[in-house]
Amino acid sequence: MLSDIRVIELSAPETMMAGRILADLGADVIVVEPPGGAPGRRLDPFLGDTPGIERSLTWHALNRGKRGITLDLAQDDGRVLLADLGRSAALVLEAAQGCASEPRIAVSFPHTSVRCRITPFLSTGAKRDYQASDLIVTAATGVPGITGHPDRPPLFYPVPQSIMEAGAEAAIASLAALAARDADGRGQDIEVPARLAGMMSALSVPIVVPAGNPGLQRTPARQQLAGISLPGIYACQDGYVLISLAFGQAFGPMTQRLMRWAVEQGCLEARLGALDWPTVPQQVEKGSLGAADIQAAVDGIRALCAKHTKADFGAAARRLGLLAAPLMDMQDIDQSLQYRERGLWSSPVTLGPDGPAVRDPARFAQFSNYTIDVARPAPTLSQHTAEILASELGLSSLEIQALFVHGII
Amino acid sequence: MSGPLAGLHVLDMGWVMVGPVTGRYLADLGAEVVKLESARRVDPLRTLGPFKDGKPGLERSISYHNLNAGKRSLTVDIKDPRGREAILRLVDWADVVIESFSPGVLEGLQLDYPRIAARNPRIIMVSTSLLGQTGPHARGTSGVGTMGAAMSGASLLLGWPDHPPCGTYGPWTDSVAPRFIVPSVLAALHRRRSTGEGCHIDVAQAEAGIQFLSPAWYQYAANGTVPQRRGHAGSPLKAPEGLYRCSGKDRWIAIDASAVDTWQRFRLVVGDSLRDPGFDTLIGRLRRRQALDDAINTWTAPQDANALERRLQAAGVPAHVVSSAHDLAHDPDLTGDHYRTINDPVVGDAVIEGPRFRLDRTPTRETRRGPRIGEHTHEILRDICGYDSDAIATLEAAGILK
Repeated sequence: MLSDIRVIELSAPETMMAGRILADLGADVIVVEPPGGAPGRRLDPFLGDTPGIERSLTWHALNRGKRGITLDLAQDDGRVLLADLGRSAALVLEAAQGCASEPRIAVSFPHTSVRCRITPFLSTGAKRDYQASDLIVTAATGVPGITGHPDRPPLFYPVPQSIMEAGAEAAIASLAALAARDADGRGQDIEVPARLAGMMSALSVPIVVPAGNPGLQRTPARQQLAGISLPGIYACQDGYVLISLAFGQAFGPMTQRLMRWAVEQGCLEARLGALDWPTVPQQVEKGSLGAADIQAAVDGIRALCAKHTKADFGAAARRLGLLAAPLMDMQDIDQSLQYRERGLWSSPVTLGPDGPAVRDPARFAQFSNYTIDVARPAPTLSQHTAEILASELGLSSLEIQALFVHGII
Repeated sequence: MSGPLAGLHVLDMGWVMVGPVTGRYLADLGAEVVKLESARRVDPLRTLGPFKDGKPGLERSISYHNLNAGKRSLTVDIKDPRGREAILRLVDWADVVIESFSPGVLEGLQLDYPRIAARNPRIIMVSTSLLGQTGPHARGTSGVGTMGAAMSGASLLLGWPDHPPCGTYGPWTDSVAPRFIVPSVLAALHRRRSTGEGCHIDVAQAEAGIQFLSPAWYQYAANGTVPQRRGHAGSPLKAPEGLYRCSGKDRWIAIDASAVDTWQRFRLVVGDSLRDPGFDTLIGRLRRRQALDDAINTWTAPQDANALERRLQAAGVPAHVVSSAHDLAHDPDLTGDHYRTINDPVVGDAVIEGPRFRLDRTPTRETRRGPRIGEHTHEILRDICGYDSDAIATLEAAGILK
């Protein structure tokens, strides 16, 4: 769909997801790295837990489908070659290396190019001089502050998230600017502050206090009824399942069906299964239901979960229409019939010169007349430099060798 | 200059979060967005807080404004053939249709993609649900984004190794899925400008979530390791990196001072307690991580988190408080240029979020309030669907416009 769009990605951890999404949608994405390799190549985990410039699995995951060249942008030749290559690019992706206020790389691109830059904080804001990393930006999004237990430190994902949020947001902003370019042929500058992107996953947290409400406490069970906490996650035979006890018109009937199933399974008194669950909060308020009843229902759900597996529970959730799902790990995802038959997986992608080939969960969308596939594995360091300098910029073999001798490529 | 999508028409039939957020992106970019609602079956987002001043009410949800800013609202009963006809007239007008019904529902209403495309072949239609429209488990799976988080592998990754998983804060895939839907729509629009082709885009929210965890997938697929919840915020490959306790209840600061230059700067700020030569090298710090973290915690514990953040950043050390809802509300980084004050007839002034990026030449549209239920029904039926006032009165009398 984007086959006429060339993207130059000055690789940084924050740009990788942006370039990946655009490549998945058909763009020709050329990653530009310094001769020593992009910082993304030093992100763990590593293939076989052995580090190496071709072994970062984060790099492989976020750069497959792109071509790669090296250029030393600290040298005049590197910047001139980038400017030359930029003449063919609709979009240039880059990220501030340190803080939002630092200047852009001194390379000028045509006025027809869109230039998208990811910064940690707003370049116009009070924190424009702040140094950052994924941990720092994620801390500032509001997500960890509300994730986990009140008696323990805030929780972060073991997979960096701010680079994902910022990259995906940059893909949106870039495509928006490309839409304007389709209309009038002109490019523009874009800024994507990673913090703002990451705040999306804080959902309503940023607007709670300004709306005149008290702050939020970090707790895994945010719902309370008659003073009883309603857990959201329950242990089952082989792992955990998520169950939302929701009430009201839209989701209350799902709770009703869960309670009925618990009765059928001998885990809950028939009397509790027969309650009108969509209106239970109102019944508690009126006093017709008390803490003991709610506790008995929670205990019943706990017993119900303990006698089933994740797979049983998933099947029951589909059959009965429950607000419940198994907590899947990567092995479950690998084995899921649903993901496989729907076609989530790409054809296998090779991980580096000697690495194995793995399936990639590439197809984030199924189109009626386009198929996302992984055209090529992530580039090895400088894999396409000679090819692109020769075919795109017309450099001779001698000139390319000279660039290498001088450490420019 | 108007927004980059000025002139684009969007029919947003989504509810709660994923569909509406997708619509809000397009509205911010200049598109005209009509949101289909029902007063009989109210968008659950209207029943979810935060409410202005903590007082619940269907027109008081600030979350609703935050996700539906700048849209117009139409209430019409799409199960009634006359209501369906009104929707088809909107389909004639629309460039993009967004829907997040349970898979199969629109087919039952004869408003699925083949019928929509027969009416308007240039349309770009988005269907989004937890597991998508196809596959053996797609039908029968409907629900909320916490379930999407569970099925994408996210919920299990959040927690402490000695404790059951905590799961995500809220319906995590609701925030992730739009990041894959909007680029898909914009790419399809780009293609349509040259080929005229429309398309159907089917996004499974759980599959979108997997994208943000793809390094964990590769870890499993390549190394055979099933990633588990880790608890500790910092990387085991960096020291010091993590969270440190500050003064006050539940106050924490994130510090990343593992790299050689930031470590030197950090050590200068902290002073005596980090002078131990055992901390000179990275290997020394990794081996003595507990002693290092204890020393840093002793230093941070009596300090105010916000003041410490400023002090460390002034010294060039990457640091930030772990922002709470209060911190986000008052952070000068955000109050300056991110939050927008809207004015609404019901809630008065209220603060919602602005767009998350800046386009310097084609700015996003000024942030407006969300609509009240069915606020624009008459004008939409008249101006877009082409009904005259008698026809609208007939629909109204038949009880279809609720």
